[in-house]
Amino acid sequence: MSYWRQPLDRKRIQVAHGIVHIIDDRCKGCGFCIEFCPQNYLIISERSNSKGYHPPEIIDDQQCVNCGLCALLCPDFAIYIEDGGTRSPDKVSPIQKGDANQ
Amino acid sequence: MTKQSNGTMLRSERARILGYEPLDEGDWVTGLHPMDDLLRGERLPHIWCQGCGLGTALTTFIGALQWLEKNQDWDLDKVSAVSGIGCTGRIAGYVRLDSFHTTHGRAIPFATGLKLANPELKVVVLSGDGDIAGIGGNHFIHAARRNLDITVVCVNNFNYGMTGGQVGPTTPHEARAVTAQYGNFEYPFNLPYLAAASGASFVARWTVLHARQLEWTLRRALAHPGFSFVEVIAPCSTAYARWNREGRGLDEQNLGRRGLETMKYYQQVGRTVTDAHPKDVDIKFNAKGEITEIIEGEFLDEAKPDLKAAMDQRDEHAEKIWLAEKDAVDNRTEIPARKDHIQRAEVKLGGFGGQGIISAGRIIGVAAAIYDKLEACFTQSYGPEARGGAAGSQVVISSDPIHHPHPVEPTSMIILSQGAYTKYVPSLAPGGVLVIDDSLVELPDDHRTDIDTYGIPATKIAEEAGTSKAANTVMLGFWTAIVGVVSREAMRQAVAESVPAKTIELNLKVFDIGFEHGEKIKT
Repeated sequence: MSYWRQPLDRKRIQVAHGIVHIIDDRCKGCGFCIEFCPQNYLIISERSNSKGYHPPEIIDDQQCVNCGLCALLCPDFAIYIEDGGTRSPDKVSPIQKGDANQ
Repeated sequence: MTKQSNGTMLRSERARILGYEPLDEGDWVTGLHPMDDLLRGERLPHIWCQGCGLGTALTTFIGALQWLEKNQDWDLDKVSAVSGIGCTGRIAGYVRLDSFHTTHGRAIPFATGLKLANPELKVVVLSGDGDIAGIGGNHFIHAARRNLDITVVCVNNFNYGMTGGQVGPTTPHEARAVTAQYGNFEYPFNLPYLAAASGASFVARWTVLHARQLEWTLRRALAHPGFSFVEVIAPCSTAYARWNREGRGLDEQNLGRRGLETMKYYQQVGRTVTDAHPKDVDIKFNAKGEITEIIEGEFLDEAKPDLKAAMDQRDEHAEKIWLAEKDAVDNRTEIPARKDHIQRAEVKLGGFGGQGIISAGRIIGVAAAIYDKLEACFTQSYGPEARGGAAGSQVVISSDPIHHPHPVEPTSMIILSQGAYTKYVPSLAPGGVLVIDDSLVELPDDHRTDIDTYGIPATKIAEEAGTSKAANTVMLGFWTAIVGVVSREAMRQAVAESVPAKTIELNLKVFDIGFEHGEKIKT
């Protein structure tokens, strides 16, 4: 991957960034946020909350693009996103075939 | 985002509003989420199952309200939520707005009352398919017909979820439910089409999976003047998904999350069409009752005068007519009151419908009560037919207060048809006066001899004067001359007041002919 050429104006590209907040005890483990996250960076965690459900967990807190879909889909008001401003991506990776459908 | 730190502020504010501090907060700590401002923390967590779409529907609704508050300066104190019974009906109890949780199916009537009593309110009905399309179906179509300015959000989960998953008005044909174990033999409603055909001016449908689009649509629906209807398709993870394919996806980890499987199913079958005709948007299903296509989008958005606008317009028009009538009453010609004492006189008028029997009775009453300043009481009796059937009216006139409004033994009668003669003449008091239309009533051989009978060819006279419709006026003139309970001038005023403006002259002319005829016969 590192052999890919990076655009010269990479520093000027700004990507929205969000900070995810998960309220563990409200989660009922329906899995909507995990399934429909466009960045696919939420997973089911190993730990369980006071009701015995497994709340979601963040894989990489740099990847959130502040789309807010998880907050909107969550039926239990257990997840929301704080606006984290913007950031420059570390690198621009090429789009793989089939990525668009995921 | 300082929601966590102002959680206590919210709690005290709520205590101020409610007047007490809720003791049991349960396991729900409020003030952690940006939407907690609009949720009643003391009633949460909500009862909805894991994977139920209702929570998402509520989230999008609150999201739309928050957006409107922020960007269009909406005052959320002027927004009111109304719900019926069912899982969706709980929404009214969970949102921190002024809300109504009403009886089953009657959310829209409550909302109608709310909106008409306080037109400033933005009224939102949030209820289920069983509540709005099933038990409250009639209220729904009539609110849409009136184009009442409310927003109806119908969350459709294809069955009666709260009671255990019974078949409902939106269950697809051949789909299974608790009360349709061999498949549903009925066909479902196409709700957007029903709403559009009934007269709604904004119609849309989304699944809860398309939460972002749903939120945008809700913003527009809430701001729309007129009846706006949004159908929200939501998974019923416990009841409907148990019996149908939607809930049985390829769940690798076998977690039994039927709500999620249904959402994935919606991802496959949902199709966004922006300008489909509502009649084409019925939910398609195959022979096994599996949903094969859900068309989503905004189907109708038109500007139409809403109920309030139509009422205001009517008010203006009605006020004009009312003022004109008031003017006519205020400027009535005053004639001197009758000085002599009138004994209780009972008049019976009989004929067939269309001859003006009822209006003739009314004219006598008006003349006696308003112009002669006597006591008068007018009653009418007729069959179901407006024209052609037997019709009768009775007037009681007296100088003293009338304690019994109906004639006991009529002292005079005005008869315009053979049928009325047969029916009424036997009840005439001995020595009473019978006034008949010669050209319509033929006296039989056994005619009563203990009464005074006077005849006038009223219909013929009226026809010669111009119209047979004035026959009753001729009879009135004739009766006035013979019986004399009411003065001539009072009768003339009452006739002029009661007949159409164009025929006043003609009616007064034939009244005088009848009166002079009566005077002649009497002497």
